[in-house]
Amino acid sequence: MPTRTPPDPTDKPFAPAGTARPAGPADPAASQLDVAADLSALLRDSATEPRPDTQLEALTLAVAADLPVLLWGEPGIGKTAALTQLAASLDLPLTTVIASVHEPSDFSGLPVLGDDPAVQGVPLAPPDWAVRLVRAGKGLLFLDELSTAPPAVQAALLRLVLERRIGSLRLPPGVRIVAAANPRSSAADGWELSPPLANRFVHLQWTHDHEVVVRGLGGTWPRATLPRLDPERLPQAVEFARRAVCGLLTARPALVHRLPSAEARRGGPWPSPRSWEMTLVLIAFATAAGSSRDVLSQLVRGTVGDGPGLELLASLDRLDLPDPETLLADPVAAVLPERGDLRQAVLDGVVAAVRARPDRPRWDAAWALLVKAVETGAPDLVVVPATTLATLRREDWDVPVSIESLAGVVALSRRADRAAGRATARIAATTRTGR
Amino acid sequence: MTPPTTPPVSQRPPAPVLDLDKLLAARLQAARARPYLATALFALHVVASRQVPTMGVDRHWRCYVSPAFVDRTPVEELASVWVHEVSHLLRDHHGRSDRVARERGLTGPGERLRMNIAADCEINDDAFGDGLVEPEGAVRPASLGLPDGELMEEYLTRFRLGPHTEGLAWLDCGSGADGLDREWELGPDGACGLSQEERDAVRFRVAQGINGSPGSAPRQWKRWAEEAFHPPQPWRELLGAAVRSAASGPGAGEDYVYGRPARRSAGLPGVVLPSLRRRPPRVCVVIDTSGSVSDTELGSALLEVAAIARAVGGRRDLVTVVPCDAAARVAHPLCRSEGIPLLGGGGTDLRTGFDRALGTRPRPDVIVVLTDGQTPWPQSRPPCRTVVGLFPRGAAAYDEEDPDYVPDDPPAWARVVEIGAAAR
Repeated sequence: MPTRTPPDPTDKPFAPAGTARPAGPADPAASQLDVAADLSALLRDSATEPRPDTQLEALTLAVAADLPVLLWGEPGIGKTAALTQLAASLDLPLTTVIASVHEPSDFSGLPVLGDDPAVQGVPLAPPDWAVRLVRAGKGLLFLDELSTAPPAVQAALLRLVLERRIGSLRLPPGVRIVAAANPRSSAADGWELSPPLANRFVHLQWTHDHEVVVRGLGGTWPRATLPRLDPERLPQAVEFARRAVCGLLTARPALVHRLPSAEARRGGPWPSPRSWEMTLVLIAFATAAGSSRDVLSQLVRGTVGDGPGLELLASLDRLDLPDPETLLADPVAAVLPERGDLRQAVLDGVVAAVRARPDRPRWDAAWALLVKAVETGAPDLVVVPATTLATLRREDWDVPVSIESLAGVVALSRRADRAAGRATARIAATTRTGR
Repeated sequence: MTPPTTPPVSQRPPAPVLDLDKLLAARLQAARARPYLATALFALHVVASRQVPTMGVDRHWRCYVSPAFVDRTPVEELASVWVHEVSHLLRDHHGRSDRVARERGLTGPGERLRMNIAADCEINDDAFGDGLVEPEGAVRPASLGLPDGELMEEYLTRFRLGPHTEGLAWLDCGSGADGLDREWELGPDGACGLSQEERDAVRFRVAQGINGSPGSAPRQWKRWAEEAFHPPQPWRELLGAAVRSAASGPGAGEDYVYGRPARRSAGLPGVVLPSLRRRPPRVCVVIDTSGSVSDTELGSALLEVAAIARAVGGRRDLVTVVPCDAAARVAHPLCRSEGIPLLGGGGTDLRTGFDRALGTRPRPDVIVVLTDGQTPWPQSRPPCRTVVGLFPRGAAAYDEEDPDYVPDDPPAWARVVEIGAAAR
């Protein structure tokens, strides 16, 4: 549960307006408006509380990495509010442009006829907000309601997002662009991205958290602590990101480029060299910021799609696991993961390493590791690795003494065998009686 | 999963200590019987709890176990319960329960119990057998008079709590099964829970395992693995999106043209602005089917297209229907009641349907073809956008005189939506 921040000292206890104000003003109509203003002020008066917000953190990282972000979310769930908070925390002035109320020439530039167009050409004049952005040199440009704009406006906007050009102006590098669209189930005219365009965006699904909304309406909105890039971790982050992406793509060449074929996945994220490069950038940013896996998961899956994204995350998990060779070299100092499935993956890896290069000391070290696993965790995980390891024995290798500690594992395995036998018998019996 | 005996707390004998070896032997048996679930089984974190009636899971992949239940239950039944509980988590029953509760406005513990029962039905109809016994008192769809092989959401609409479910009131698989937090659960901040990303990773690995060696898993698990990370979208939305984007894309419907000056031009002398011109899209629906499609399917697809066409600004007289073959039977009454102009039927070949649709004047902006795909397609791309609503045909659909005949896939220039695909 989020903790409540101490009440703001400026918080005034609610007092009926009639008692707080001097009675008997001269103009009754004006006083009504004053009371209304007081009421509005009271309503606006809300506290904030710190609360981790993974989707805002993911958005911040993508914006910091200067990749085009597309927020998908139902209308009215607080995309604009999130952008306001993001702009404040990045110290960027926010410019919101509602795409659907503009015309294409607002983005591609308004053609202005000069004295002699044949000689001077026709310049394309940019709109005022673009000029202000360029003059400020930095800012957060939020293109809202992309999906309800007519197709020609969308075409003009995409040029702005991808090439950063408005008419004859080019947006300076300090300007960050975020677009928002309604999912096509709720979009009035069902616009969707073509696969080449979809591939250029980081797609973030924007959802609301029921609890946050209820608490917010009750007067306490969340205040997300935004990620800070740690200057000391930059080289290490780049190295990690390269290792993660290259490691996966070396092992799985088919994942490098896969155009979505199903109708349901058109217009979403899909893997290509371009989106893998974006993934690499995002992993580096998330690592440098020390973000959680949840944040990374949203970013990666929003860039290359669910399947390849999850494969990448799974291979990151494996990168995190201890290396079998390190464990075999020093089984005494080995630290095995707590979680059962990860621990089993490590033990399987150790046995696979012994099988790949079997010799006596490695075989003994593997047994020592299995004993350690039994002493520090669930014994059922050890059964399969122990059985496999036993089959790797050469004739002249003596069984290590420490293997006695595994007696419990053998008993457990036998018990499971007996239960399996009983289960088979019972199933056979019920089938015979025709149940 | 066996009905617990519940004497008052004061009279209970001192509860036994959790027999972890027995529980883990059962997990080992479960993992051997269902190797594709091993990752998920081992990822569960065991918590001994005297408050849970039998075994239950929370959404953070902790497994709460009653020591007394372990004590009185044979290992082989415990193994089945392990598989049952982990199935709740893999199938995301808590998330789906929450969604259903929101969508259908189901509140209260009674509804959550119903969700737990429906979720149990979805799991139990093919979880047991082949090395796993069916535990005492396991809820089967048949015990509620329902057919096997459906999803929790479908079962939920089919039964109410009543005398016949009274025996199930003890059922409690934890918040992992029905999304309702229990007081004994450790909650999101407790130790050893899995984060959302870790849960997804485990589910993904299990799905990969099933997809990698599909021979060993039962049909329901294969279906789960295929859909776990790509849930099928309802065809109505897909068809709607395809028709809408075809009808409102550049060249059809409304767009900017420089042909006439914009109204804004008056305020900006010297500037040439395009104006927004609106031309309602003309949609022509070609229905081609060999008659094996049910009239209801066909009728609802046709109505859907007509409704979408109206929604993008088309008028009824701009939607025309070209029935081919047996489809005339459905098209005639529908078109009459909807006021849609009907172009003569006939023709056994989809190509004649295309010719007929393109022969109308003025030409349609969008052609929507409803077909089962057992047809030759036009050689060249028609001069307008094409959306194909495809009624999927199983392996049964083939030509008896030429068993090697494989119908052509719809051509690449058409956007294809499979109609009738399952929707969650």
